[in-house]
Amino acid sequence: MTKKQNLINDESEYGVDSRYKTSKEREHDAVNLMQARLERMKNLTKEQILRAKLLQLTLKMESYLKDPVYDHQNHFADFLQTYIDAIYSKRSEFAKDINVTPVFLSQVINSHREPKEEFILKLMIHSEKVFKYVGSFQKKTWLQIYFHEKLCDTMASQDTWKPEIEKQVTFTASIVK
Amino acid sequence: MNIVEISTGKISPIEVLPVENKDYKSISKTRYFFDWKEERKEEVFKVVLKGQNDILGLVSIERIPTEWRVHIRLLTVSKEHVGNGKVFENIAGNLIAYAAKIAVADFGALACVSLRPKSSIAQHYIKKYNMNVTGTTLSIEVPEIVDLINQYDHD
Repeated sequence: MTKKQNLINDESEYGVDSRYKTSKEREHDAVNLMQARLERMKNLTKEQILRAKLLQLTLKMESYLKDPVYDHQNHFADFLQTYIDAIYSKRSEFAKDINVTPVFLSQVINSHREPKEEFILKLMIHSEKVFKYVGSFQKKTWLQIYFHEKLCDTMASQDTWKPEIEKQVTFTASIVK
Repeated sequence: MNIVEISTGKISPIEVLPVENKDYKSISKTRYFFDWKEERKEEVFKVVLKGQNDILGLVSIERIPTEWRVHIRLLTVSKEHVGNGKVFENIAGNLIAYAAKIAVADFGALACVSLRPKSSIAQHYIKKYNMNVTGTTLSIEVPEIVDLINQYDHD
């Protein structure tokens, strides 16, 4: 390696200062970059878009698992819907592929029905095959999402269920004084 | 995400975490090349070996949702990991890959990470990270951004 190349490598390793000095500079860059990107986007294949969408889903699922989220959203169903819509043009095709009825699938997606364990297992197998071409995805993630959501919902709704359940739980004198 | 110890080839797991206010006490210009205190109000992340505190590198980013873009404002690797005697490799790559993960999580197939290195070192970034050139701005988008994440984001 030449001295010049060494210098370039050292310089590039210590870092980059990309901060815009003026708003004019920022606007100029934004316009030019967007134009160039839109041109490049025209050449994207369906597979490349699908890989990106599935990676986005993976990252969102990982992020959800990292922190407890207490809200009224049905995350499992939302992630499932995103997964299916990224791959299939019709949800009934996915239902056929995992051997469930379209009605059952629709009820799970719309949170009108709990997914059975068998459904989650089928989803895990399906994902394993799909993500083989995308990147790292652990099939257990679906199961983790399901139980993580259950855990968050249960802890968040303690005020609702705890008073009634507490009445039904007693301790024998020998355990608690 | 991992980095490689050059002398032994040992692979060590790392974490990328948000910089906390107390961290700025130990982030000096001598060791991290820039005045990082100027970035206090921005989104700044640090690379550390898993379970340790010593900061190996830093990145400051700006999310620009209207352009589906994450712009790298400032990026650095600490002094010991630069040049011939450097201890670890891949610190900068992991920081760029982390910015890429944020961009893909936020913007999916439209995601983009941009930066503007000095022209003398632009070729290094173009080659190493497969970046596109638009004027003085380098960017990485789909499909290359997915490959970059897959390259760096594994245990």
